[in-house]
Amino acid sequence: MTELLEQLSSELAARTAALQGAVAAIRLPRERHVSAIVWRGDAVLASEQSLPQREQFDLVLPGGAEAQARLAGRDAGTNVAVLRLSQPLAPFALASGEARSGALAVALGADGIGAASVRLGLVNHAGPQWHSLAGGLIDRRIALDLRLARAEEGGPVFSAAGAFLGMSTLGARSRVLVIPAATLERVVPLLLKEGRVARGWLGVALHPVAVPDALRGEAGQPSGLMVMSLVEGGPAAKAGVVAGDIVLSVNDAAASGFRRIAGQFGPDRIGRKAVLRVIRGGTLLSLDALIEARPAA
Amino acid sequence: MSALPQVALAVALRVLVRATDPARREALRQLVIDAGHLPVDSPSGADAVLSDQLQVEGFAPMPEPSPRTLFTPREVEVLAGIGDGLTNKMIARRLAISPHTVKFHVESMLKKLGARTRAEAVAKAREHTLGNTVEF
Repeated sequence: MTELLEQLSSELAARTAALQGAVAAIRLPRERHVSAIVWRGDAVLASEQSLPQREQFDLVLPGGAEAQARLAGRDAGTNVAVLRLSQPLAPFALASGEARSGALAVALGADGIGAASVRLGLVNHAGPQWHSLAGGLIDRRIALDLRLARAEEGGPVFSAAGAFLGMSTLGARSRVLVIPAATLERVVPLLLKEGRVARGWLGVALHPVAVPDALRGEAGQPSGLMVMSLVEGGPAAKAGVVAGDIVLSVNDAAASGFRRIAGQFGPDRIGRKAVLRVIRGGTLLSLDALIEARPAA
Repeated sequence: MSALPQVALAVALRVLVRATDPARREALRQLVIDAGHLPVDSPSGADAVLSDQLQVEGFAPMPEPSPRTLFTPREVEVLAGIGDGLTNKMIARRLAISPHTVKFHVESMLKKLGARTRAEAVAKAREHTLGNTVEF
């Protein structure tokens, strides 16, 4: 037993030493920092929500050397930010792997002076794809049962075998989530090329409501999404949608909840028609909107 | 368990009021004054912050409405008004309905939110509205 624990312990220490070349620190004001992943030599990745709105950043690279990087792009939808280093690094080879519920996970963070801090936990849950509140599609739902300091957010998460699972992210109530490697592979090239991730957009803020009893039969569903506000000159406003309308469906997706219509706003829908079935003043009507690309925040 | 005693703060707090919409900022300032505190505009020396730039903490999934918190369209509008810090009279004007009807809705919403005071209702209404409104 003792031998087994010792073995686990020294394996973890050895693994940390071998992987800490993948972790950099991004300096923040007041002696603080957040963590970042060294990604193929000239780019580092960070948690979008943890980065201040700036263009230029000071970094501490693995080993302690200082470097400068410029923001290449950020996407609140998938919580990914990409910085381009002014001088490329020797690339750190990350071999991606799949997260499995119950498997051990090692989360590395930057200590701010060139080495890594480490957390060990289980993959608490590995599930299907999901949409974030900001509308991004995340390829898999991965939650860890470990705690993370704010400074450690944005670092790489590895499996026990050393496979790269993704980037650590603080979720609601300080839950630790992982943005999967598959999502990073998909989003990072777009951010490097275009600076953002295009997403379909109507220009409306929606809030769930109960469909009034008198209209329930005709609507064919007990709930819909009420238009709380519209962006002036946005696609929905141009289609004649007004505040207070209750959206029942978008194309063939029932608007009984957000998740069912989220799939209608992928990048492939930009420039396509969205048929909105709405309730206004007690009657049902149908409006045609043209989905546009969501403007940069 | 016995009810907690209500304790009034002996000191007026300096409350930093933050809102992008001027009307909302005025409403929040009035709320602070009504509660016996002093609204201030600069962070230096403020004891507390009342802000409408409240954000959902952490990277969150798209919410899914639960039948328990599914309100009627009118209730949602009243709720948004409470969350904006408006008085009943202001909500009535905004929705073009009688203050009496608003009062009825507000009382029902306070109960649904489990709020005892108006200030508590403002915070809870804002949290609810923010956590369940998604932009597309």
